[in-house]
Amino acid sequence: MIPNLIPSLDAAGLPGPPALFHVLLVSTFFLHLLFMNLTLGGTLLAAVAHRLGGGRGGDHRAVLAARLTAINTYGISLTITTGVAPLLFIQLLYQQYFYPATILLGWAWLGLLALLTLGYYAAYLYKFRGLPARGSGGGVWIAASALMFLLVAAIHVAVHLVSVQPERWAGLADGAWSVLADPSYLPRLLHFVLAGLGFAALVATWWAVRRARAGVEVELNTAIAAWAWRWVLWTTLLQVVDGFVLLVLLPQPVMRGLMLGGATTLVPLALAILLGLGLLMMAARTAEPAGQPGLVGGTLAAMLLAIAVMSVTRHQLRALYLAPFTADAAPTVVPQWGNFLLFAVLLAAGLATVACMLRRVLGSPASGAEAA
Amino acid sequence: MDYPIWDVALGGGMLMALVAIPHVIVAHFAIGGGLLIAVTETLAVRRSDFELRELARRSSLVLILVSTVFGAISGVGIWVVAGLISPAAISALIHTYVWGWAMEWVFFILEIVAALVYYATWGRISKQAHLLVGWLYVVGAYLSLVVINGIITFMLTPGEWLASRAFWDGFFNPTYWPSLVLRTGIALLMATAFMIFVALRAGVERREALLRYLGWWLVAGCVVAYAGYRWWEAVLPGTVRNLFRGAEPALAQLAATRSFALWSLTAALLLGLVVLVLAPRLARPATAAVLALAAFAFFGGYERLREGVRKPFLIHSHLFSNGLLLSAIPELNESGVAAHSGWVARGGEDGASLGRALFRAQCASCHTLDGYQSIRRALPSRADLAALAAAEGPEAAERAFRAECAACHAEVGAQEMQGMLPSAEEMGQDPEMMAELNRGMIAATLLELRDMGEAFTAAPHGAMVDTAPLFAPYMPPFVGTDRELEALADHLASLDRGAEPTPARQGGL
Ligand code: HEC
Ligand code: HEC
Repeated sequence: MIPNLIPSLDAAGLPGPPALFHVLLVSTFFLHLLFMNLTLGGTLLAAVAHRLGGGRGGDHRAVLAARLTAINTYGISLTITTGVAPLLFIQLLYQQYFYPATILLGWAWLGLLALLTLGYYAAYLYKFRGLPARGSGGGVWIAASALMFLLVAAIHVAVHLVSVQPERWAGLADGAWSVLADPSYLPRLLHFVLAGLGFAALVATWWAVRRARAGVEVELNTAIAAWAWRWVLWTTLLQVVDGFVLLVLLPQPVMRGLMLGGATTLVPLALAILLGLGLLMMAARTAEPAGQPGLVGGTLAAMLLAIAVMSVTRHQLRALYLAPFTADAAPTVVPQWGNFLLFAVLLAAGLATVACMLRRVLGSPASGAEAA
Repeated sequence: MDYPIWDVALGGGMLMALVAIPHVIVAHFAIGGGLLIAVTETLAVRRSDFELRELARRSSLVLILVSTVFGAISGVGIWVVAGLISPAAISALIHTYVWGWAMEWVFFILEIVAALVYYATWGRISKQAHLLVGWLYVVGAYLSLVVINGIITFMLTPGEWLASRAFWDGFFNPTYWPSLVLRTGIALLMATAFMIFVALRAGVERREALLRYLGWWLVAGCVVAYAGYRWWEAVLPGTVRNLFRGAEPALAQLAATRSFALWSLTAALLLGLVVLVLAPRLARPATAAVLALAAFAFFGGYERLREGVRKPFLIHSHLFSNGLLLSAIPELNESGVAAHSGWVARGGEDGASLGRALFRAQCASCHTLDGYQSIRRALPSRADLAALAAAEGPEAAERAFRAECAACHAEVGAQEMQGMLPSAEEMGQDPEMMAELNRGMIAATLLELRDMGEAFTAAPHGAMVDTAPLFAPYMPPFVGTDRELEALADHLASLDRGAEPTPARQGGL
């Protein structure tokens, strides 16, 4: 008999209906993805821009690198902050798949902490000791930071793939590094990297276009927008190709589940593909984005929608991967509606407070003796 | 129990300490530091005091670099490590308190966004707006303590929750309020410990005033922490308190930890009074470092004590730290662990290989092979027996006995035990007999450990179990069938390298 390696469901049950937690998982993961894309893609793009700009402040690519870093030193904090919630909900909904995967890849999973810390401080070093503060240099720091975040992504993808394929656990426990042999590993990692690059480049374009339209350093911002926009175009093109590769490489039963899942799976998938192609067409429409702020804004909105839709598809794929194992596992549900309500109220109040604070801050500029 | 095991030579507990100790120090600094910075800036604005403002501004850079970066990552790190070393236990905790954590997350967002905005807007927005951001940070940071404190204290004193299983019964448990007071004091202590270094860099003419100002905060922190600590001790259930208090504490080591913590606090208070309040011109980076160390030592000592008295539970009287549910003991003894865990079943039907899998499932979360809390050292061995038999004179016998045997044979004396043993010569002649005796002791120990399970399940439902009278108060019971017990004994006996290691054993496991 082959022992069943999947741990039993937690005896404590779920303090709310599963659907509620699935919604919370996907929506908080989407939020996390936005900042994660900026961190991963933004740092990679900054490293490339720094290099191509020769590491000197005058170049438009160097200015872009400094800008992306300025966003990122805050963005990384928010990536971690927003990552906490999906990490909580995944431990709640998928603990019997998630923990074994992290344990089987124990050192790598633990190493994530060190990589994050190093990547983070390296970004700060670049900001304080490199080009953004001094006008030149510091390329090593930003490159190191990008490498760390790339490794973090690689670990996340590996853990995910192991967690959804319990049939691989026994081999992995015996020391076979079979995850890396998973044909979908690299395309999947690439999917995240390209999304990050595309999103960060698009945000950078959008910001530069806004500045140019406002009459601030028009020439510089126009150049930055045009350069970043090219990254949007090419990464999107590669992304569409990679997306299809990934689809083809899905294990047979998962693919079948996806195609036969009716509207629930097909609508998000079709929407994602259409959005991908749409993005490609929008990005190809112009080489001078500064002249078409509407197009850039529309592209950004479409990309946000694409990320949201892909979060749903990703979640559905996990369910399909795990379908053979979860068939007869229904957790006991002991709802704590009062606590859910309290959480919802606090969340609304917390976000409202943050919004009010930001409005107050933006509305109270001051300088000199008047300033804090 | 039914999860795979991650091998870490350092020991899971040690690794957790490495991540958790810096995290709690930084997390409390983030709370106290926020408060101190906000108060300081408020005073600076009122008095138009530039040096005070600079103290707040420079401290806020430390706050952001340390707390929003390191604090956040190490906080995630605690989950990461807990999931690696005791997944079933952390899963149970999360399933019980997920809404608590979700609420904490909301405050965490407020805290982080406010911290980032606060730091980024020095000199760029109006004073009033900046103060507002600072105070919102304080609110977010403190409320996250208010939430997490409920979950942490629940683990040691679940109170009514044991019977009712109601969220708020466990949350507002007997040690909730004392612990909140204690942690508030600690937060102030951590904040001043860090900010002294910032104040030392201020201009000469104002340095003393700033240090004295921080000195009063430190004194306040010490007083609040001490009051909270004594209150905490007073509300602990007697069975828990007796583990480290009274004439004969059951766990003498924890009694020493308590003294250490309280003396450290005294040292921090005295140093603070002398070096900061009375004679701030004496303050140097070195004295500040000693002061910070004393404050950390108190905090670390208290945390160790709190974790120590909770052993072997993750949630007292409900869930053991190796993931075993108290309520699952009878069933596991009846049908066996292998029937419930594929990872154990992979070890085979019986014999040392199954024993090894059982060891990994039940003991490895606390015992490493040769590192931290080495199982090989905890177990008797033929060499240990031979050492006692060969010891010449009462003193040598006493020493050998205390080192190797006393943990399990407190009821007999060293020489009495020596008398019961065969002579060293006889031992040398009959290694088989020695191996047999040794394995017999191990099996007998496991029987004792399994019997503890009955004591745990026999305890009245809904009450805290008194662990003091147990065979090993700091360990969960062994669970499993007779066959599993024998298999584990085989495995543990095979760890004995003995006086003459056989080639097969030289390669380790
Ligand atoms: C919750 C953590 C924990 C778990 C799980 C655990 N132990 Fe222990 N064990 C301890 C501690 C703590 C000590 C005391 C070590 C010391 O004094 O240095 C100890 C001591 C021992 C000793 C020495 C005898 C004694 O009473 O001091 C033996 C033997 C032992 N453990 C065996 C086991 C076995 C076998 C298992 C698995 C069935 C196990 N332990 C599981 C924590 C644990
Ligand atoms: C991990 C716990 C443990 C340690 C350490 C330990 N023993 Fe034991 N030993 C036991 C247990 C349990 C028994 C069985 C007691 C009983 O049946 O009453 C036992 C029984 C014995 C017996 C009696 C054997 C018999 O057949 O009745 C002797 C002799 C003995 N131990 C000697 C030693 C010596 C010498 C040492 C130190 C080198 C030592 N033990 C260390 C747990 C231990």
